[in-house]
Amino acid sequence: MTTTLQKTEKQTTVFSFTGKGSELFAIEIVNFALTLVTLGLYYPWAKAKTLQYLYRKTEMAGTPFVFHGTGKEMFIGFIKGIGVMVLLYTFLFLAGMADAVFVQVLFFFIFLVGFLVLVPVALHGMMKYRTSRTSWRGIHMGYRGELSDMVSKYLMGFILSVVTLGIYGPWFVVSLRKEMLDNVRFGNVRLRYVGEGSDLLLLHVKGYFLSIFTLGIYLFWYMKDLLNFYINNIVVVQEDGTYSRLQCHVTGWDYLKLAVGNLFIVVFTLGLAIPWATTRTMSLLLHKTVMSGHFDADALVQTEEAYDSATYESMTDMMDIGVI
Amino acid sequence: MFEGKYYNGHTSKGIPAHITLEPDGILIAHDTGEEQGTVFWQLENIHQSEFNDAITLLRYGHFPQQSISVVDKRFQEALQRQYRGATFLKSNYKAVLNLGCTGLALLGTLMLSLFVAFGIWGVPALADRAALFFPRDYERQLGEQLYQQMLQGYEMDAEKSAALKDYLEELDTQLDYPITVAVVTDDEVNAFAIPGGFVVVHAGILDKMERHEELAALMGHELAHVRNRHSLRAITRSLSYYMLASLLFGDVSGVAAVIVDNASALRNLEYSRSLEQEADEEGLALLRQNQLNPQGMVWLLERLQSGDSSEMLAFLSTHPNTDERIQTIEQKIGEGQQVHQPNPQLEQLWQQLKN
Repeated sequence: MTTTLQKTEKQTTVFSFTGKGSELFAIEIVNFALTLVTLGLYYPWAKAKTLQYLYRKTEMAGTPFVFHGTGKEMFIGFIKGIGVMVLLYTFLFLAGMADAVFVQVLFFFIFLVGFLVLVPVALHGMMKYRTSRTSWRGIHMGYRGELSDMVSKYLMGFILSVVTLGIYGPWFVVSLRKEMLDNVRFGNVRLRYVGEGSDLLLLHVKGYFLSIFTLGIYLFWYMKDLLNFYINNIVVVQEDGTYSRLQCHVTGWDYLKLAVGNLFIVVFTLGLAIPWATTRTMSLLLHKTVMSGHFDADALVQTEEAYDSATYESMTDMMDIGVI
Repeated sequence: MFEGKYYNGHTSKGIPAHITLEPDGILIAHDTGEEQGTVFWQLENIHQSEFNDAITLLRYGHFPQQSISVVDKRFQEALQRQYRGATFLKSNYKAVLNLGCTGLALLGTLMLSLFVAFGIWGVPALADRAALFFPRDYERQLGEQLYQQMLQGYEMDAEKSAALKDYLEELDTQLDYPITVAVVTDDEVNAFAIPGGFVVVHAGILDKMERHEELAALMGHELAHVRNRHSLRAITRSLSYYMLASLLFGDVSGVAAVIVDNASALRNLEYSRSLEQEADEEGLALLRQNQLNPQGMVWLLERLQSGDSSEMLAFLSTHPNTDERIQTIEQKIGEGQQVHQPNPQLEQLWQQLKN
């Protein structure tokens, strides 16, 4: 009986980041040189190398993650992404060039709708790609979301946000996060996102007004609240129904030190020290985050099948959608 | 022999293992306490393993991959000794990683200077190249649309346009582009060239002029923009800068901004100083070629400079540094010989245009 008791006892799983600014700098400088020399063609390989490094230096329960993506895969995605963008911008360009108002409106409409649909398509693709290429102790993550769900949720949320003049925004953001995270599998474990739109709205209202009253100083606490809202609402559910929660303990003061420090680091080195800013951020975030509950690091079972397709990774990248 | 954890790719449980480095592969004997087993990893199927630190992580085979992790610095050294040159130990980044602080700082500064140099000289050169490859038919088509669009806001003076056309035909321009000129009724002292051979002249600038050499100089200037595809070059340049920036910062919305800006407001396009100078010089060359007084170019520039400042604003804002340009042109005139003679035909056409 003692063994079962022990099994259900609460556990704390820790994260850590062991990357160093100097190492990342060495990687980025090579990336930068090769990207420049190849007129940008090396970019996907550079991206892959950086991710491989950052994953390798991110540890959970003392074991590092592995990023399996390759430059070649990401290159294909990069080319496809550029192709789609060129096509969309061609429509925009044609809209600008057309004589007839009807044609102008039509082309502009195609451009807008295309762009609007592209975002969820890219999000879906990125989740699928990133999760399938992530493993820990040999167990791969996976993504079970359907593209049609993502697109319809996105379009619906977008329209509702516009109609309600942005008030629906927080619910929109939360529903997207639910769609993305609820479909993540980590072996036989799955993620759930339990945040509520109303809480997010409150956070925004509070953050907005307090930031104004404090002449912007509260901004760091506002950002900290948002960060905690995104992370602390992630629940890791095991097959038997037991679960763990992520807990981020970053304080407003931490956030202030991080943001101001990074600003100085980047500005005074003309951007050369961006890798140090990256490692500082990762380090703070991971050291201040723990998972507490019934997560059993030894009990994950492989559930993914062999993977394929790298289409959308770099597309999201190009559109600069900041996710996770 | 090393102690480590073995992960079989099916569960996340780390199985204690004894790891032995054999000449042609790695032998892993794992033991859960209840079950024992051994696996042998052939060297060629071990995945590339970079960025190892206190933990050495090795992965093997197809999906689901097996892996071992060893927390022992000596393991990494032993691997390097035993399998020197093996593919899985190769890293293109290792040399740079081992450079140390001074090396990295030097390399960083070098890269930054290279990048700046690339931005200053490389990008314009490449963009100019790209602009030259732009098909002429398409350039003409594109220009035509822009031209029609721009004329919409103005009233075209058909008589003066015809007179300007005649004047231009009389001039020896040595241009194989088909040229379309239009004079629009507008007080603004302005003229601009559109890709593909379209030149729009505001009546305001014609009214200011006193000698026809000024007109010839103006035409020479604008035709140089056309001939040398300056607008196209300016667009490709700003586009390439945006692309470079978007590559660095991961955002392409800037590219859209450039396309839209340039498509709708090409006339406000700021040519670089060098492109402007090039056009001045070719304008001067045109005057010489037609044996007209090269001072026409100077007169034109002075006319623009001396005028009412609010009127001048439009032309000057797209054509900066008038003082400097006058100086440069005067120098050029000084160098060459001053052979020029009156041209009655052009004079006559000029009179038609003025009336």
